[in-house]
Amino acid sequence: MPSPLHVPRVNNNDDSVRIVDLGVKEGDFVTRGQIIGAVETDKAVLDVPAERDGYVLKILHRTGETASVGSVLLWLGQIATERVPDQAPAMVAGETRSATGRPTAKAQEMLRELGLSAEGIPAAGERLTVVDIEAWLATQRNPARLPSSPVPAASEPTPAVSGEYVELSGEERGMLSTVLWHRDRAAAAYLDVEYDPKPWNDYAVRYGEENKLLLSPLLALLAFRLVELAKATPRVNGTIVDDRRYQYHPVNLGFTVQAGQTLYLGVVQGAQEMNAARFIDALGEVQRHAMAHKLRPAESSGATLAFSSMARWNVGRHIPVLPPCTSLIVAHAAPRTSGSAVLGASYDHRLLSGFDVVQVLQSLARPPA
Amino acid sequence: MTRSSSSSSLDREAVKTAIRTKVIELAKALDIDAHGLSDSDIIPATGLLDSTAILELVVWYEQTYDFPLKQEEINIDNLGSIDAMTDFLLSRKRA
Repeated sequence: MPSPLHVPRVNNNDDSVRIVDLGVKEGDFVTRGQIIGAVETDKAVLDVPAERDGYVLKILHRTGETASVGSVLLWLGQIATERVPDQAPAMVAGETRSATGRPTAKAQEMLRELGLSAEGIPAAGERLTVVDIEAWLATQRNPARLPSSPVPAASEPTPAVSGEYVELSGEERGMLSTVLWHRDRAAAAYLDVEYDPKPWNDYAVRYGEENKLLLSPLLALLAFRLVELAKATPRVNGTIVDDRRYQYHPVNLGFTVQAGQTLYLGVVQGAQEMNAARFIDALGEVQRHAMAHKLRPAESSGATLAFSSMARWNVGRHIPVLPPCTSLIVAHAAPRTSGSAVLGASYDHRLLSGFDVVQVLQSLARPPA
Repeated sequence: MTRSSSSSSLDREAVKTAIRTKVIELAKALDIDAHGLSDSDIIPATGLLDSTAILELVVWYEQTYDFPLKQEEINIDNLGSIDAMTDFLLSRKRA
């Protein structure tokens, strides 16, 4: 269900703030605590962290605009295609800063370390204190990590060696978000199986000749086979949200495309409805758009499982990072000199067992009869 | 990069030369010498370019000649060789 991220209050005297920086765009995936922008008044600037993991569904204010405190800044959703409510929810009485006092210096430091906003954290007195934050954290179902946690805090120290900060590009931020989801959310594991590539290669050559294809359809056909296996084994086309399985209805196949220096995850939406020919066409279109750096939003978000190949680079095997909210990404490799090929998979062990994944890979290793 | 969208400014030999130059460039990135490629050679069958490089060639072709392709047009008949790519481009630009 989509949830709003409200414009925070910077200080008690200002009921509106300027949006000075928005580092995300619609379709991006963000993780809880990730700084997605900043707001300012004449007195101070405040980073705005995401309060949950999710896709940016809709942005209602742009950089440079003045926004009312408590209005919806943007909507986040579990999946990229969720519909945003027509009516923005009003801030609930008691949810606003009237219940939250201005943070003390130590409280501000703690909020910064935890990647939290003071918004919504009730203060016992006039000022929000460390004790208030710790009390609030104790009431949360998924509390943020305390400073004593062995996991690094959101704010890292600047290295002692001289250097300078360089802002990440949108693509680099997307990659960072993906890696952080893999690290912080998934219980990622990996396994692979070797297989004889000849039957698949022969099958792809025949298919390509019969259909006068310009490009070898081998990888597209492998990816399509994965879609078919996901239809037969829906479990691989889901994810874990809190302590429940979230079973996707569509099969949105993510496919990695290296375009120059940029790695994209192109997405074929609704692949479960397609036959092989239509899937190859749809994937080809996504690949061309990625190569031209012109992926449309629907072609770059919402993957429910994924496929990646590094055969081009003669890699023996590779362990890919799970795209956010997926449980399986298949990794194809075909070292030229070995005579065999490898189908591996990174998977989320919260949902899939090694046995589940081996069964999928062994089925995938054989072309359709 | 030269952009051209009208047939009047497209010279057949210049188009062929540009496509050949691009194929050689893409093959070189794969440590392959493609100077021996003839205009009628079926590019995928020569093994000079892999699928990704052919895809790069197609995207370059679309962008260079301001010539967006439909997915169903991307086949051996239309784009399989330097001759085919040139003929397909000129015929569509003149249509």
